[in-house]
Amino acid sequence: MSGAWLPVATLATSLLAATLIFALPERAWLARTSLNLGAALIKLGLVGWMIWGLHRGLEYAVEFPVAAGVSFVLRADALGIMFAGLSSLLWLFTTLYAIGYLEDSPNRKRFFGFFSLCVASTLGISLAGNLFTFLIFYEMLTLSTYPLVVHRGTRKALAAGSVYLRYTLSGGLALLLGVVSLHVLAGDIRFGEREILADLGAEWYPILVGLFVVMILGLGVKTALVPLHGWLPRAMVAPAPVSALLHAVAVVKAGAFGIVRLVYDVYGIELSYQLWLLHGLVAISALTILYASLRALAQQELKARLAFSTVSQVSYIVLGVGLFGPLSTVAALSHLLHQGLMKATLFFCAGNYAEELGIHRIDELDGAGWRMPLTSLAFTVGALGMIGLPPTVGFISKWYLGLGAVEAGMPWLIAVLAASSLLNAAYFLPILQRLWFRPGPAHGQGEWPDERRLGRLETSGWLLWPTLATAAFSLLAGFLASMPFSPLEWATRVASQEYLL
Amino acid sequence: MSGLPFAGVIAAALLWPLWLAMRVPLRGWVTSSSPSRVWLDGWWCTAPLPALALLLPWSEPSLTLSWWLLGGVWSLDDPRRSLLAVAVVMWGLSGLYACGYLASEQHRQNAGDDDAGRRLQYFALFWPLCLAGNLLLIVAEDIASFYLGFATMTFAAYALVVHAGTRDARTGGLAYLVMAVMGEGMILAGLLWAAGSAQTTMLDALREGLVEAEQGVWMAALLWLGFGVKAGVVGLHMWLPLAHPVAPTPASAVLSGVMIKAGLLGWLMTLPLGHAGAGEAFVMLGRVMLVAGLAAAFGAALYGACQPQPKAVLAYSSVSQMGMLTALVAMGLIVPDRWPALLAAVILFACHHGLTKGALFLGVGVSEHPPRLPSWLLWILLVLPGLSLAGVLGSGLASKWAYKTVFYDADHKHLVLWLSLAAVGTTLLMARALWRQWRAERQARHDDLMPLSGAMPVAWLGSLLAAATLPWWLPMGRTAWPPPGELVGLWWPAALGVALAVSIGLAARQRLPGIIETLPPGDLWWPLVRGYRAISAKMVHGLSRLGMSVAAVVRRLQALERWLIDGLGVLARGEQWLGRHSAVLMMASALLLAIIMLAAP
Repeated sequence: MSGAWLPVATLATSLLAATLIFALPERAWLARTSLNLGAALIKLGLVGWMIWGLHRGLEYAVEFPVAAGVSFVLRADALGIMFAGLSSLLWLFTTLYAIGYLEDSPNRKRFFGFFSLCVASTLGISLAGNLFTFLIFYEMLTLSTYPLVVHRGTRKALAAGSVYLRYTLSGGLALLLGVVSLHVLAGDIRFGEREILADLGAEWYPILVGLFVVMILGLGVKTALVPLHGWLPRAMVAPAPVSALLHAVAVVKAGAFGIVRLVYDVYGIELSYQLWLLHGLVAISALTILYASLRALAQQELKARLAFSTVSQVSYIVLGVGLFGPLSTVAALSHLLHQGLMKATLFFCAGNYAEELGIHRIDELDGAGWRMPLTSLAFTVGALGMIGLPPTVGFISKWYLGLGAVEAGMPWLIAVLAASSLLNAAYFLPILQRLWFRPGPAHGQGEWPDERRLGRLETSGWLLWPTLATAAFSLLAGFLASMPFSPLEWATRVASQEYLL
Repeated sequence: MSGLPFAGVIAAALLWPLWLAMRVPLRGWVTSSSPSRVWLDGWWCTAPLPALALLLPWSEPSLTLSWWLLGGVWSLDDPRRSLLAVAVVMWGLSGLYACGYLASEQHRQNAGDDDAGRRLQYFALFWPLCLAGNLLLIVAEDIASFYLGFATMTFAAYALVVHAGTRDARTGGLAYLVMAVMGEGMILAGLLWAAGSAQTTMLDALREGLVEAEQGVWMAALLWLGFGVKAGVVGLHMWLPLAHPVAPTPASAVLSGVMIKAGLLGWLMTLPLGHAGAGEAFVMLGRVMLVAGLAAAFGAALYGACQPQPKAVLAYSSVSQMGMLTALVAMGLIVPDRWPALLAAVILFACHHGLTKGALFLGVGVSEHPPRLPSWLLWILLVLPGLSLAGVLGSGLASKWAYKTVFYDADHKHLVLWLSLAAVGTTLLMARALWRQWRAERQARHDDLMPLSGAMPVAWLGSLLAAATLPWWLPMGRTAWPPPGELVGLWWPAALGVALAVSIGLAARQRLPGIIETLPPGDLWWPLVRGYRAISAKMVHGLSRLGMSVAAVVRRLQALERWLIDGLGVLARGEQWLGRHSAVLMMASALLLAIIMLAAP
């Protein structure tokens, strides 16, 4: 098989970067930074190469046996490469941002080491070719994000970290239970061989339903489905780039991606539909979307509001998975990318406000648009995307989700989507109004909580450019949604594979 | 002419205002702030001009963009070309008017007032943005572009409404934004539902799909209400009288003249008007729309006649006029076979109202600050558009005659009577608005203000000219004029309205101010706000109770966990105890064993 080295090399880039960063001394800023950026760029290139190869019909897979009947499989398929593309693109931006954000703060070696490990595990999750490999990287992700969550080392951060570990380790345990039981039932389950479980016969179906519920409990913790979402709003004590990574790429997305794999590649969409598993997913995601939006409305801290917004938005993916039909699959998969771009933008902006002006609360944002116009513009793009207004990517997701709901014969879900749009408007538009239309310290009224001049522009370039880049991507991916290689187009390709096979 | 130049023209028409909007932050950024910078300059006024080229008789006015959003199709037909023409004229003249209207803020900026400078920058930025959205929604044939244009226009107009930054402006802006977001939600829901069941991204296929869909009438109802927020359907109209008086006068003119027509265009583009096989349910929806339209036409006239501010009166007049238009559109569902003729009447009415109402709004600013014109001439010019709106002359007479003939042919005489009675209300409103303007003009002359000159009177006169000549240049085809014998039938509502206005004005002179104080602009908005406050207080209370009970469950779980861990601790301590006493225990068990063995038989 040609090109088997590509998935390994991609994974190795981040792992190697992590190892080298741990080996470097704390003071070696230049070496660490160039290592970080070099690895991110190389990885992006490799993933781009694989995307091009997949487009031409090549296959990239590598496997070796670990024990009898258990293999370690890395395989790049169209679905996995989507997630890999997102994580490597956002890794680059988040790394740039983190370099600026953590300027002059202690323990940067530890931070960037685990940062790389975290991205390596995300990549492993996206390239995993069977449940066993998926599980390994899923657990590795849990462990490598803990040091990032507690990075500040404050009492609040440690408490959040312990909550995080409780939730995710219990979730991991539930997932382990499910994976092992499935292994006992059906052997080594490769992603993409969907008939295995359906062939077991109807007498096994009750057990399969039970295992599905157990595994959704496990994956639902990371996806932050209500009522398993408690850790996410607390974990926002982490530094802004970590929040961006957690909310946009790594943790919640790993959970959502796991649910996508579980439904499409392990159980198969037909079997899941037959067993009424999809209906359960629809119910729980609709509940999550509305409940989290209501909670977001009540938050007065910017990052807390964004965190509850994540809980709500990630459930769009689960909703898309739960609706039976190709359009909703397109919605789920494209939203996997779209939400990442938008939420990374929003968290970057929140970080910029906090670093440059010391702003943490929403009511401190009055008039900030005049002091930091570019950041505020990026925030506006992200917020409009969350509401689902064109031409941002949020509109594309919502469009396909609504069409998918009608296709699946559940038009009442459109009411949920419209309500979610209204709630998103209710908690984002007041922020935009404060940013742009209220007089504040920029108008000579009062002072910013803690203003620092970080750069020649409105803030340090390290913080500003990644923010603008993700905002631009979330605009462009909406404007040019019908272009080849746009997230929408790639999601359509995956969906057509799912439903034709 | 082929498709390629049309593509260029349409791109220029949309990109030129966008570029002019972009120019504002760029100018602010590139050159460091100089206090004498003119934001509303000559270039800025040219924003709608490239769109004029779209009005040329293109042979194939259509453009397909496969890469755009969900696939874009932009085109023009005669009704939309007419609306576009009115939009371009109104935006252009109001823009010119704005240059004069905001000159005082420019002076304040030059004198070192930063806030005035900021307000001007916002105006200069959002005005062309709003225009671009308006143009896009007129040419859009695909759902995504239409929604994009609609949303851009809606949200950019917020900045125009809150321009003054006063308390009233903020209230008006809030009402505008809340209602607009609700409208957007309903539009989104309706579009998604209808597009999903018709499996399409195009508006014409969506229209067809509504008829075939099982629950098509509910989708249509959502779309009617969603666009109805913009068009001021009764019950959803509250933002108009709140936002219009506080917005700068040129912004009020485009809001009332052009932007609310976007709601009408939304109906025309999405509802299955004139579709023969639409079925009984759609006729029912049509009846509901008809009743709502007439209710708005009368209710707004009565309420508006009690308003003191001329702009609020004109805003209620817009609600009333849009109510009449709603009734006309509703007839497209009730008697679909008359739609082609009715559509022409609807478009003529909409264009007439757009320009005439725009001229009236621009006239408010002129009467507050009169130019160097003899009083009699000024007042003839101010009264003329009012008479046109009441249907006495000009485009008003033509559009009234247009729908009247349709309904007489279709044997719907009672509707003509209702609409004529609504015209009585319109006359009442016009009389009220002009009376208040007259008072304002007297005051201005009394204060001896410097006569107005420059852009404002020019733009106002231009709008009068455009409104007066509308029947001759509208690209909708030749306008029919009523024969002299019909004039009595067309003029009596206005005559009755004038008589009523005069007699009410004389009879209730003493009591009127008392009544007026109890009727604030925005009518239903205020009780709704009170209701919302009461409910939201309860909601917040309920949510916090919910949060507390969730926290209680979590605490209980944590207590359980602690208990379990304590239990483990007890076990561990027990093991330690066992370890410490191992020797004694060993001896004890050996002893026990020995006793058992001895005792055993």
